[in-house]
Amino acid sequence: MAFDLEVNGTSFSVDADPQTPLLWVIRDQVGLTGTKFSCGIAQCGACTVHVDGQPIRSCSFPASAAVGRSITTIEGLSADGSHPVQLAWKEFDVPQCGYCQSGMIMSAMALLDKNPDPTDADIDAGITNICRCSTYHRVRKAVHRAAELLKGQGA
Amino acid sequence: MSHSSSRTRRNGAGDLDRREFLAASAAAGGAFVLGFWLPSKSAQAAIVAGAPWYEETGTPEVNAWIVIEPDDTVTVRIAQTELGQGVWTSNAMMVCEELQCDWNKVRPQYASANRDARESAPEWTLNVMGEGAYDPAGGGEPLFRDREPVRGIPDSLYRRMRTNEASSVRDGRYYLQLAGAEARERLLLAAAAEWDVPATELSAKDSVISHRGSDRTTTYGAVAHLAAETPHPDPDAIRIKPPGEWTLMGREQKNLDVPAKVTGAAVYGIDVRMPGMKWAAVRACPVYGGDVESFDFDAIRDRPGVRSAHHLPIPDPSLLRGREFSGAVAVVADTWYQAKTALDDLPIAWDIPGDRAALNTAGMHGTLLSALSQPGRVRVDEGDVDSAIAGANRVVEATYSTPYLPRARMEPGNATVLVTDERVDIWIGDQSPQETRRSASRITGLAEQDVFIHLCHLGGGFGRNGNGPQAEQALMIANANRGTPIHLLWTREEDFIGTTYRAMGVARLRAGLDAEGWPVGLEVRTAMQEDGFGPTSSFDVASRYFTPNYRFSNHTADFHIPCGTRRGVGQAAHEFYRESFMNELAHAAGKDPYLYRRELIARTDLPHRDDMIKALDLVAEMADWGSPLPQGTARAIALEEKGAEARGTATISAMIHTVSISREGVLRLERVDVALDQGFSLINPLSVKKQIEGQIVWFYNDAMHQANTVLGGRIVENNFHRFSVSRLAEDPPEINIQFFETEHWMRGMGHDRATSVQSGIGDAIFQITGKRLRDLPFSQNDLSWG
Ligand code: FES
Ligand code: FES
Repeated sequence: MAFDLEVNGTSFSVDADPQTPLLWVIRDQVGLTGTKFSCGIAQCGACTVHVDGQPIRSCSFPASAAVGRSITTIEGLSADGSHPVQLAWKEFDVPQCGYCQSGMIMSAMALLDKNPDPTDADIDAGITNICRCSTYHRVRKAVHRAAELLKGQGA
Repeated sequence: MSHSSSRTRRNGAGDLDRREFLAASAAAGGAFVLGFWLPSKSAQAAIVAGAPWYEETGTPEVNAWIVIEPDDTVTVRIAQTELGQGVWTSNAMMVCEELQCDWNKVRPQYASANRDARESAPEWTLNVMGEGAYDPAGGGEPLFRDREPVRGIPDSLYRRMRTNEASSVRDGRYYLQLAGAEARERLLLAAAAEWDVPATELSAKDSVISHRGSDRTTTYGAVAHLAAETPHPDPDAIRIKPPGEWTLMGREQKNLDVPAKVTGAAVYGIDVRMPGMKWAAVRACPVYGGDVESFDFDAIRDRPGVRSAHHLPIPDPSLLRGREFSGAVAVVADTWYQAKTALDDLPIAWDIPGDRAALNTAGMHGTLLSALSQPGRVRVDEGDVDSAIAGANRVVEATYSTPYLPRARMEPGNATVLVTDERVDIWIGDQSPQETRRSASRITGLAEQDVFIHLCHLGGGFGRNGNGPQAEQALMIANANRGTPIHLLWTREEDFIGTTYRAMGVARLRAGLDAEGWPVGLEVRTAMQEDGFGPTSSFDVASRYFTPNYRFSNHTADFHIPCGTRRGVGQAAHEFYRESFMNELAHAAGKDPYLYRRELIARTDLPHRDDMIKALDLVAEMADWGSPLPQGTARAIALEEKGAEARGTATISAMIHTVSISREGVLRLERVDVALDQGFSLINPLSVKKQIEGQIVWFYNDAMHQANTVLGGRIVENNFHRFSVSRLAEDPPEINIQFFETEHWMRGMGHDRATSVQSGIGDAIFQITGKRLRDLPFSQNDLSWG
């Protein structure tokens, strides 16, 4: 079935079974591979993207449910890594293997949207993505730094 | 490939056009001579931006590691795989420290496993001078002096392309520094020839060459093409810099792969796209050693996108270091999701060996435990243990268990393979491309010289051989579909089948103590699967803590779970046994576990004795050992070492873990203090810190959460709802790391630090709740108290 999806502000016409998880449509039809597959059962968050600003685990979200809504992937934050969350991530050299990091960054972004000044406890509760390399220690620091940068940007 | 589909719908549109292939190859000009092949334009547009694999630009290389473009961009070829350990950066640092180029213009790129099959290592890389571990400029063991392969390390162009044993720095540093130095010398010679001055009057810094005595300067980019044609007259005379002269190494450098990993641009194996590529989903028999009896392709053949189904026989164990995986069915379709959902509905009958189907964890664990009462293979026997223990003031005995554990890296196994009648191309993140090259040759019948591996970043490694048969399966499918690129991708569940496990193990330790609580005899028995690197590696208690009488024996069991090198290898389990038992002994003796360890190390004559004492003293100071803690909080100390028993490279660390447990039984690792031996110097201290932070949580997971159980011969926990992995909320709030210098080169940093989180949490549970738990993981117990 053919339908349109709006990804990072651009409309794409895709042809897939409507039940196909959004993840696979983004990766294989839209052609954006920054969003990753790891568990396929909404456990790990590697596939996190935003739909109308809300973080969702796209491996378990039917593509058809995103029709008419606005989808943001890691590629939509900034192509050159200049988004404050990306800057903070680079400052703390967060990624190791990096495979979880697109999802981690999208989850962090969603947390900061809701809570521009999170405490450690807020971060611990608000980001439930798995990082097998365990970059958590730097993720926590980088989220605080991103919060600062975002505030500076708003000012 | 006996059951290949009768109805493959290959209509040409899906297949790579061979003329396009040849045209693209020819367009690459001279590069074609080296067998380089460009994907078609559309494929390049889709995937090549930021592709990390080997590529020829047309600019002649200075040597096999270094290409310098006219604009001074330096490409450094990396022969190990970046999987989060920082090798993309640290290998480049080793080369560029000597090259003295502008670090801001360095671009790493994976080395070519194909050239490695065609070319021999340059003579000068064989030339390892100095005294190895104790020479500040030395390269550890001179593994490569002879052309004889050493420990499986060949004398091909890039020597070892494996990423394992934390050895990328240990084995590679000397010749990587030499590679940078050789190129620098040749750049200077080229400039000297241009200016007709002696090379000794020239110096280089940040890619600029200056002539002393005149104000002439030039750049590396300007003379690189001349340097490529200027051999060094006496490469054996080139010396490398000792740490005192380093300006790049030994200082924290941001990792060069990080920028692409925050934009989603980094290319992993799973991201590879080719024109005409088809996807394969795979289901292997869930019981290792089992195979496919039959499957009914008719049930799915008309589903959208489905092309074919294939029986994949059990991969030849000789291609997988002797490990036996399972036979499998692969479904090939236009998209992976089509292939996967069709495979979900494919009726498959398995042929499962009955004896294996009867196995479960309880029975296997029982087999190991009963092995402990048999006389095993005695590895070390010093003094007279039996009489020493018989005559002791008191005897302490404990039996510990560690479960099967997988690597569970985040990127599920995958590989993209294109087989034609002329060559094999493989796009893969791979910890051992030289072995994959051999597999490709064996499966397709083409020569290794015609195998091209395009290395990708790897979404987690955690153990070289755990990669399992993903490349072999993809090769089988692609070989049956010559001309069509096949991208195989495992589900998470399949990744749990296609991995090797760290062997389940048990250990019984028995010590006799004298009236003052010091050990007079110690007996250690372990039982593990032979293949697990468990019984024989990394365990020799006597050589660390002093006891006048000591015996170590091990027992092996023959189970069907494929076991291999998981992060920490045998050391992770063995240090858990040893350090847990040292805590038990200290408590039994009524002595401080820090001072007890210190004294027992001080009584030895081990070559690295003083470094171990240094580590213990430093960490005790860092954590303010002995200072009061709130109720429900405890500290535990441990020593970690690799190689401390012999002269040579070693890595020594001591850690203190501060743990709290609420009355309701909620445990938190609050703080970890780490004192780590840095040898003469670390290469990139930032990467080392990141590794330690990660390993702390890795072994926290081993201590608290993770186990794989076997039921009906199958691994039960096969996705993250059953196999739990800690999230941010369990990361220790405070981690303090300090390095201390020692007079030897470090053994490596990649995997075996922080094993002591296991014994530390175990002992904290005992101190707080009074419960002495000896079976991992601990979270299977009620930890409430008070
Ligand atoms: S891949 Fe979607 S949550 Fe794991
Ligand atoms: S960086 Fe490797 S899984 Fe998170």
